[in-house]
Amino acid sequence: MTRIADFASHLGLWPNSRTMRSQSRARHRPIRAISTAGLVLFGLLVLSPIVLMFSDSLRSDADVDAHPLGIPVHPEWHNYSAAFHEMNFSRTLGNTVLITGCSALVVALTGSMCAWSIVRHARRWSAITYQVFVAGLALPIFVLITPLYQLMHQLNLLDSFMGIILAYTALGLPFAVFFFTSFLRSVSVELEEAATIDGCGVIGTYWHVVLPMLRPATATLIIFSSLSVWNDLVLPLILLTSDSKKTVTLSVYSTIGTHSYSVGQLLPTVVLGTVPLFVIFLILQRHIVAGIGAGATKG
Amino acid sequence: MRMTRRAAVLLVVPAVAAYIVFAIYPLVRGIAVSFTDAKGLASGHFIGLQNYRVMLRDPTITAAFRNTIVYTIVVVVVQNSLALAVAWWMYSLPRIRNAIRASLLLPAMMALVAVSYLWSFIYSPLGGPLNIIMDTLGLRRLEQVWLGDPHTALMSIAAAYIWMYTGYTAAIYLSNYLAIPASVMEAAMIDGARGWKRFRTIDWPLLGPALTVNVTLATIGSLRVFDLPFIMTKGGPANSTQTLSLVIYQNSFAGFEFAYGTAIAVVLLVLTVVVGVTLTTLLRRREVAL
Repeated sequence: MTRIADFASHLGLWPNSRTMRSQSRARHRPIRAISTAGLVLFGLLVLSPIVLMFSDSLRSDADVDAHPLGIPVHPEWHNYSAAFHEMNFSRTLGNTVLITGCSALVVALTGSMCAWSIVRHARRWSAITYQVFVAGLALPIFVLITPLYQLMHQLNLLDSFMGIILAYTALGLPFAVFFFTSFLRSVSVELEEAATIDGCGVIGTYWHVVLPMLRPATATLIIFSSLSVWNDLVLPLILLTSDSKKTVTLSVYSTIGTHSYSVGQLLPTVVLGTVPLFVIFLILQRHIVAGIGAGATKG
Repeated sequence: MRMTRRAAVLLVVPAVAAYIVFAIYPLVRGIAVSFTDAKGLASGHFIGLQNYRVMLRDPTITAAFRNTIVYTIVVVVVQNSLALAVAWWMYSLPRIRNAIRASLLLPAMMALVAVSYLWSFIYSPLGGPLNIIMDTLGLRRLEQVWLGDPHTALMSIAAAYIWMYTGYTAAIYLSNYLAIPASVMEAAMIDGARGWKRFRTIDWPLLGPALTVNVTLATIGSLRVFDLPFIMTKGGPANSTQTLSLVIYQNSFAGFEFAYGTAIAVVLLVLTVVVGVTLTTLLRRREVAL
């Protein structure tokens, strides 16, 4: 039982035992009960569009037209097989994983190297480097799309994975440098000094000491940069043209486009575009929640 | 460890190189192109401030500028007030806190594209879910062609965005709440500070860091709003949902007016920098004052 409760509380589905005990001391029981019910209701209200999305995605168009809020009595699974086929889902999913994974890895590696140097070699130029990266945090992508398109055209990188991965790397670096720098400032230099005394070179120290030390920060960074890359429409829209290279998000857009698509076609496409991230969220929820909080409590 | 200058430079090179080539260079080049008459990939001639002069008289651009600012103000204010209330609510109920926080975060895990289509469906005028619910609640009079009416379209889009990110914003406030030492809250309790009084004197000042993060994130996110109007309304009806990002995209990639597109982008950049610097200064001063 404990094991199950632990797992459930890991997923956030079950209160953990510590908070339960502190609760038994609560005084204002009726008010608390009303407040609890209210908050649960609010949560359900926020979730209702998502529930609606899942349930209507399994119904026929005529059924949805008649009662949009009905329950799928006879689930129309073929809505999904049609959408799966139409979106070329397995292909686009593979593309997305490749693009997301590569850019997240490159951002994490180059960003952490850069941040390490900025923190441990504190000079005027490293401070300026840091400032220039941090300024990029506020840079709207739309300021760059047109010249970026021209540049990729000249470099022959339009419609290539390489091009889009490089673009995501450059756009992800400001956050990575900012994030790793603030993390590294909070850890002491002793381990690295010990490694140098043991004869590790710079690369050895980075690989054997700094990278392992950064692991929690790296995990958070990879999750968040993956989320933003996965969900991005803009760069795939301008940089990728051939069907075989589309990402899931672009494929949701290009499948539905602006045609008046029927609900039975629209919602399953949207669900397929969403579900992979929901699954990842359920698995990595603890890291994601911790990462969201990190900015507020450390900043 | 003493890092040699050579090592320090080598470590910085990959990141700096990628950043210069694919972010800084395009930025500089974009600013340069905005002073030319370039169309498509062909390079144009220098025409000075002509693009900017045209922009001032272009009703689509002025509408986009106005809408972007209105949208940003509405999103920042509503999303933060709502999230603050929800965070306070979650904080007061530790038993269900984690489950609620997880549920409220779910919309933020969706792609904006998916949210756009989902809400287009919810808003659909003829027998769409929202209007059906309003029917049931006896609110037939208030029913709208949500996305088809210039008076409601922009706010309907803002509502979808707020739905998506309120949980995220609330999660940031909540983690700030949880970082407040229990002794502070107990002392407040002993001094008889409860409810609104405690919120105003204890919570509000101590939530400063989260407020800074949330206001900054919401501002940057909504100044660049693109996906929602791009999919839900295409900027219509009557330019009521044009945004700066949208007109940049339309000019550059639908009309191939590259120079004009980059000129609008420069306006967005200036707007972002001005708003960003103002906000940072204000929020910093506020945090210091507290």
